Amino acid sequence: MSAFYIILTASLFAISCGLLGSFLILRKMAMVGDAISHAVLPGIVIAFLLTGTRDSFEMILGAALLGIFSTFLIEYFHNKARLQTDAAIGVTFTWLFALGVILISVFAGQVDLDQECVLYGEIAYVPIDLWITDSGAIMGPRALYIAALTLVVNVLFLRIGFKQLYLTTFDPSFAATVGISVSLWNYLLMGAVSMTTVSAFDSVGAILVVALLVAPPATAYLLTEKFSHMLIITCIIAVVISIAGYFLAVWLDGSIAGAIVTVAGILFAITYLFAPNTGLITKRLASA
Amino acid sequence: MKIEAKDPVVEIHDLTVSYQKKPVLWNIDATLPKGALIGIIGPNGAGKSTLIKSAMGLLPLASGYMRMFDQPLDKVRDRVSYVPQRESVDWDFPTSVLDVVLMGRYAKLGLIARPRKADKEMAINCLRKVGMEAFVNRQISQLSGGQQQRVFLARALAQEADLYFMDEPFAGVDAATEAAILAIMQEMTAQGKTVIVVHHDLQSAAEFFDWIMLLNMRLVASGPIDKVFNNQLLQETYGGKLTVLAEVGELVRKRQIPSREKY
Repeated sequence: MSAFYIILTASLFAISCGLLGSFLILRKMAMVGDAISHAVLPGIVIAFLLTGTRDSFEMILGAALLGIFSTFLIEYFHNKARLQTDAAIGVTFTWLFALGVILISVFAGQVDLDQECVLYGEIAYVPIDLWITDSGAIMGPRALYIAALTLVVNVLFLRIGFKQLYLTTFDPSFAATVGISVSLWNYLLMGAVSMTTVSAFDSVGAILVVALLVAPPATAYLLTEKFSHMLIITCIIAVVISIAGYFLAVWLDGSIAGAIVTVAGILFAITYLFAPNTGLITKRLASA
Repeated sequence: MKIEAKDPVVEIHDLTVSYQKKPVLWNIDATLPKGALIGIIGPNGAGKSTLIKSAMGLLPLASGYMRMFDQPLDKVRDRVSYVPQRESVDWDFPTSVLDVVLMGRYAKLGLIARPRKADKEMAINCLRKVGMEAFVNRQISQLSGGQQQRVFLARALAQEADLYFMDEPFAGVDAATEAAILAIMQEMTAQGKTVIVVHHDLQSAAEFFDWIMLLNMRLVASGPIDKVFNNQLLQETYGGKLTVLAEVGELVRKRQIPSREKY
């Protein structure tokens, strides 16, 4: 049963990340996802210090606010200080992440939160950390509920704002002229990325969550030219890497999150070489 | 030289636009008539695209204001359509021709609604007008430059606006597409719609437009083509650049300077 819980939790997080990541890579903002996943750290620590619990609503809110704040800082440095986007991203997220690292080390004694866990997560603990109601009923793994709720919120958000997100991604100036606020939808998307990153960080950590945001949609992008297909393939890849990653980790007796991302990387490489129309080797064979 | 339109659709009042505090458009003041095919003409860097981008609210104004249908833009957005330069979007984006044209319907759909069957039929109808009905389900990455421009025009038609701003719709398209686009524009103006086009080719400008704005950071002239499209005003618009180049060419010819060093 615990294998099933771990795979299910990982799949749900990977689907959430992949759906948002599909928009990010088409906006050429994959690295903003990277930035946000790191920049939320001080938000997590501060919210944790204030509330004293993990997995709390306040914690997700605090982190989401910091994620949006980091997006704002990046845009500000880019537009007002005329810094290149990548330089603005690099300065912002490392600085905020460092702040988080200092906060953790200073309050290390009082805080049940260590850098290892923040960076790498530990999805193997999912089946142990149970949600027990006040009346004493055991409801199952806590992370599973968080993963499911995160996915529901993301699917609702993408369903409601699909047209706006799609149009502001493809042609922002046209979107602006028909009265759609490009910056509002940018911040909403970044808010969703922050929320998802924070929810997932306990399980997969701040570094590997970036891989979930980028690798499955990047693989799907090579396989199709239809956006709807890209979203579906991303979801399938999310489930496949969760299952294969889990069993790879069991076989190697290693980190599950690490194995999931390793499988995602291998899938990407295979796709890059053998995709039906765009694959490197497929094209060689076709022209030979 | 400036001639005021009798029945103005667009009024520009003392418009100044700056990039990083350096003005690129100075004190533009003009009125443009309803139902005309209007060309904005001028050399590179004259601020032609800047003018229509600021008209669409895409750039902040340093001073001045614009009115359309005697209203500020925000009140009449659903009557105004903008066609950006073709190069401004990523044509490798995973989307189909139909999806792009449907984007012209988004503003009318509101937040949650998906495009309905009527919207799709309308989009296909617009594609038929631009001669692209065979490409409805094609991915946009497979289109040629002229076909891309036709798709953008179809999206604008799907907006059912009364006033159109188009940024270089004739740039880099084949002759057949140029003729097709021009025919559609003429049909639109015959229906009382106003089409404002940024254009850089002087030769075709003389044939295409009813009304011309000559622009070179400031407004050189605005009026009916027979009144303002003359050598003197064109010289003033293209100013030094034409003459300097002509003189350099003359020097090269006279002194027989080779255009490349020979070894």
